[in-house]
Amino acid sequence: MSESVLLQLRDVGKDYQATDDGEVLTVLAGTNLSVNAGETIAIVGPSGCGKSTMLNLIGALDSPTAGSVSLDGEDLDAANEKHLADLRNRKIGFIFQSHHLLPQCSVLENVLVPVIARGPADEESVERARRLLKRVGLGERLNHRPGQLSGGERQRVAVVRALINQPKMVLADEPTGALDRNSAETLATLLLELNEEEKVTLIVVTHSLDLARKMGRTLELRDGKLEELQ
Amino acid sequence: MNFRTLILRSLTFHARSHFGVILGAAVGGAVLIGALIVGDSVRTSLREMALLRLGKIDHAMVTNDRLFRAQLAEDMQAVPVLMLPGVAVNSDSEIRADRVQVVGVNEQFWDLANAKPRHVNLEEDQLLLNEALAERLGAKVGDSVSIRVPKISSLSRDAPMATQDDDTAGMRFTVAEILRPEQLGRFSLQANQIPPYNAFISLARMQERANATNRANLMLASGPAPNVSEHWRLADADLELRPLTNGPVTELRSPRVFLDPPVVEAAKRAFPESAKLQTYFVNSLKVGQNEAFYAMVTAAGPPWVPADMRDDEILVNKLLASEIESNPKTKLTLTYNVVGHARRLEERTNVFTVRAVVDMGGIYQDPSLMPDFPGMTDAESCRDWDTGMGVDIEKMSSNEQDYWDRYRGTPKAYVTAAAGAKMWSNRFGDHTSVRIQGTNVAEIEKALLAELDPAAIGFVLQPIREQALGSSKGAQDFGGLFIGFSFFLIAAALILVSMLFQFSVEQRSKEVGTLLAIGYQAKQVRKLLLGEGVGLAAIGSVIGLFGGIWYAKAMLHGLSTIWRNAVGTTELSYHAGAGPLVGGLFGAIAVAAFSLWLALRKQAAQPARELLADNDGSIAVHDRESSAGKRNFYLGFVSLVGALALTAWAFGTSEAAKPGAFFGAGALLLMAALCFTGMFLSMLEKAGAGRAPSLGGLGVRNISRRRRRSMATAIMLACGCFLVLSIGAFRLDENLNATERDSGTGGFLFIGDASVPIRSDLNTGEGKEFLGLDPEDLLEVSYVQMRLRPGDDASCLNLNQAQRPRILGVNPAALAERKAFRFAKTIEETEDPWSLLKKPTEDGAIPAIGDNASLMWALKAPVGSVLEYPDLDERGQKIRFRIVGGVANSILQGNLIIDEDVFAARFPSQSGYRSFLIDGPIAKADEIKKQLTRDLRDNGLELTRTTKRLAQFNAVQNTYLGTFQILGGLGLLLGSAGLGVVVLRNVLERRGELAVMMALGFRSSSLKRLVVTEHVALLLLGLVSGIGAAIIAVIPALQAPASDLPYDKLSMTLAGVLFSGIIFTWLASAWALRGKILDSLRNN
Repeated sequence: MSESVLLQLRDVGKDYQATDDGEVLTVLAGTNLSVNAGETIAIVGPSGCGKSTMLNLIGALDSPTAGSVSLDGEDLDAANEKHLADLRNRKIGFIFQSHHLLPQCSVLENVLVPVIARGPADEESVERARRLLKRVGLGERLNHRPGQLSGGERQRVAVVRALINQPKMVLADEPTGALDRNSAETLATLLLELNEEEKVTLIVVTHSLDLARKMGRTLELRDGKLEELQ
Repeated sequence: MNFRTLILRSLTFHARSHFGVILGAAVGGAVLIGALIVGDSVRTSLREMALLRLGKIDHAMVTNDRLFRAQLAEDMQAVPVLMLPGVAVNSDSEIRADRVQVVGVNEQFWDLANAKPRHVNLEEDQLLLNEALAERLGAKVGDSVSIRVPKISSLSRDAPMATQDDDTAGMRFTVAEILRPEQLGRFSLQANQIPPYNAFISLARMQERANATNRANLMLASGPAPNVSEHWRLADADLELRPLTNGPVTELRSPRVFLDPPVVEAAKRAFPESAKLQTYFVNSLKVGQNEAFYAMVTAAGPPWVPADMRDDEILVNKLLASEIESNPKTKLTLTYNVVGHARRLEERTNVFTVRAVVDMGGIYQDPSLMPDFPGMTDAESCRDWDTGMGVDIEKMSSNEQDYWDRYRGTPKAYVTAAAGAKMWSNRFGDHTSVRIQGTNVAEIEKALLAELDPAAIGFVLQPIREQALGSSKGAQDFGGLFIGFSFFLIAAALILVSMLFQFSVEQRSKEVGTLLAIGYQAKQVRKLLLGEGVGLAAIGSVIGLFGGIWYAKAMLHGLSTIWRNAVGTTELSYHAGAGPLVGGLFGAIAVAAFSLWLALRKQAAQPARELLADNDGSIAVHDRESSAGKRNFYLGFVSLVGALALTAWAFGTSEAAKPGAFFGAGALLLMAALCFTGMFLSMLEKAGAGRAPSLGGLGVRNISRRRRRSMATAIMLACGCFLVLSIGAFRLDENLNATERDSGTGGFLFIGDASVPIRSDLNTGEGKEFLGLDPEDLLEVSYVQMRLRPGDDASCLNLNQAQRPRILGVNPAALAERKAFRFAKTIEETEDPWSLLKKPTEDGAIPAIGDNASLMWALKAPVGSVLEYPDLDERGQKIRFRIVGGVANSILQGNLIIDEDVFAARFPSQSGYRSFLIDGPIAKADEIKKQLTRDLRDNGLELTRTTKRLAQFNAVQNTYLGTFQILGGLGLLLGSAGLGVVVLRNVLERRGELAVMMALGFRSSSLKRLVVTEHVALLLLGLVSGIGAAIIAVIPALQAPASDLPYDKLSMTLAGVLFSGIIFTWLASAWALRGKILDSLRNN
């Protein structure tokens, strides 16, 4: 596995205006993080500590009030909205706690949704989608709608959707949070296998220590700072 | 897979939630498409009417009083017709119809019809009526109907020496057939959707009774226009060549007596050596106390007078010289009459010096110098003369009779041509004959015709079909009109569409967030949603297409029934060409898609993280609050001050400006009310923060939390109410100041139309006597008489575009001295706008005045512009009118008014008066009407109260306003459904909050009541603001003496809006709070 740095957070801070009176809430302060390509990382911490905020900053869904975030050598601060969208589409895959599949689309179509942001899906993408879905055990469910799937299955579709554009990094926000124990276990295993197979960096925000333990590194977010847990 | 797939999936998946959007788009589309279909239907109906009234006729030559040989038409493969205005009376029931077109036709006429009647070869006593006239007379086949038409005379009855004999002819017929429209039943040369009253009789019978044997005044042709000049003869121009017996000379003369100037000019070009003469009938020639009465005097050049004779010199013949003892150098006073308007005889005198006394004999004993005066030529005795020149037989002595017996019309004196022209020149011509050397009549005729342009005497074949189709094409655009009327309905539907769609999209915020998170740009997401919206718009519009057909049929039914006053016909039928259907469909899709685009343009603007978060959608509502509050205050304050100032000014301003001023004041007041409401909500929100909450306070907070949404609803309802109610301010009231001179009636009691021209001055005893009226009758009645050149009705009652408007010739002083009518606009500032008719224009165009609205809309010729008339005048000159003034909303609608002198000069053959404005005491209105219509029944005088005529015109505008109010009311009802959507959105967003309240012990019914109450407050806010502002706007209408604001309909509309608003609010609340509301708490 390459040792090159894929993601770098330098002194990242994030504040929110809490009330109309101008009271400021600091979520992150002077956070640093360096992630190599292919790593698997779990970020843990108590509720409200800013895990999701951090994931949003890493995923180019938000910008820091201080410091910088760079992905694949590119400073996200310097990029415009259009470029950020393109970056999210090509280099990042998202997995949410609630799968956020489009209910109107079939399993296969849901997986292809990120592809068509750049134009009609080509045969190669469709083939990759089929292969990945088969890989996660949904080869027979291609034309099913999300409503016809179990929670674990939906989340597996979301995983494949995150991987369809061969991103460099997959961000998962509590991916097992809404699943039962067995499904959670299966999904965790799957994520790690896919990390290996697809050579993709995996960053998971989770409350689940079981899931965290399966990752290469575990970081705890506390008082706005990340600390490495052994 | 591509974007389209995703759009299609969304469309099908969310079909149920899109139902409302589709329905709204369908309503908007139906109204829009329906309006276009109405426009197309009216246009097509008018086109069909135009084609029906003309059958196969392509060209027409109308020569009015000037008759041509019927044979000319036949030589030109055309159809001769003698058409005269007349009066028809059902002999059994005595029901009369004035303004009847009596059409004398032969068998060929029916070849021009799309369907021939059974009776194509009419017997002398057979009459065919069209359906309109049959209905008017209550006549059926076999009934007896009498018809009266004016007799035609070559010499205009307005001309000097015209006789005063009976000028109408009556005939009795049996109705043989009632003609359907396709049988040329609606035959007319005028573009109007209202069918004329047509009576068809045998051409021969008509010719015989109207003194026009073998003559016609209308030529109709199918196919390409035949060439008049190839076939015509001098006889067609009422000209004749008469070889003289006293020399090798041929005289060009006319039964019209006076030769048209173009004829004289053509003769001069063809025969430069020819001599032009004018012989006139004079009252007396006097030297000292010696006076000879009634003689002919000729004005000519050499050889009749010496080349060097001065214009104040005269030659007298020997007999006259001896009778009045005149010698060379003695002063001779010549007295003669000229004929003014309304056949008023004006006696003039001129003093000459006797140049010489000429012997009787040779050129000085030539009775043929006297034209063929109808009442003189054949008279045996002077006492039998019927000259129309006021001859007093008692003045004549045996000298006159002896002279007549021996020399007939031989002139007694001779003056120069210039002197003659100066004294006797009139609108019919300056010469009575042209003498040409030679006796080869055929050669002379050929040479004359080669020089005479038929158009110069009005012989022009007009492309009547082309013009008719042009009129129907240029007709009022009912499509645009109904889009205007339905504007609020369309707007309400589209607002509903955009609100529902926005609502639906907001429900899918997580989907939008997901797309953004996985790398879609915001504009790509909007594109996807818009694609979905366009799909919905298309589906809705296709449904709307069918709805539009129904809507159009309903509107057309309305136009033929309850709104008939606006169109004057029941014959508008449904037509839908591909144009309006396809154009309307795409238009509807585009309009709906545009409104969706407006709704979407701020979608996907929130960050994905917020959209994906579990929130209530109330993100970023605090933007620019304080600046909006200040803006509301300033705008509201300025609007309020403006409204008060405008109201104060409006009370003191003119009647004409009042509606606009009050409407403006109302609109400003509405704006102020809405601004202050916005500001108030903002203040409430701020004031509420940090206080202990109450249930009522929570309600207020809830409205103010979604202030924009709340305000949008209130504004929509308020504006709708305001528009629907206040538009009533523009209703026109014909009774308002009706007796004032500056009102739309001009202060006149009646407006009159005569089928057969009235030639005398009804204001004088002689004039009344001439018509057989008692000079002592109706002394308190006075008349403004107007000449009429028939043409298209250019008023709002005619749906077609008037191409050749009716022209009225009036003495401007008659209107100026009464200060009649109020001018909306004049070309220059003047105390006496009517005098502008007398003021020559720089470019020679005829100064004309019209009704300002007719000028603007029907003729599209505003004050200051030049209106080109499609016909030439009777001298072959182009007719151009300079519009010098526009009269405000008056009974003069539909006409162009010019100076009577100009009228007479340009249209000399239009003799007499056919249009009248009549003054008289209101108390005796019925008596006046009864007596005048009875006494002048042969002329078919039809009197209409000016207020009634004005009401007919006003009915158009008032009907349109009523239509707007009805359709606006429907829009308002639909708009109240928007309130339901707002309620639904608000409540669904607050389900969690309401669940908490339930968890805290509130009952479900209390929560429902809370929600309903707070939104009904919004409804009332909108209604009260709109109604309050509208009351200011309708003050002028409320002040009107016969205010007929439709209080009942308006009250019902508003009650309906309130009721439906409450129902929609309740339904939305019930739906949003259905199910186990506490579940939403668990979900959160």
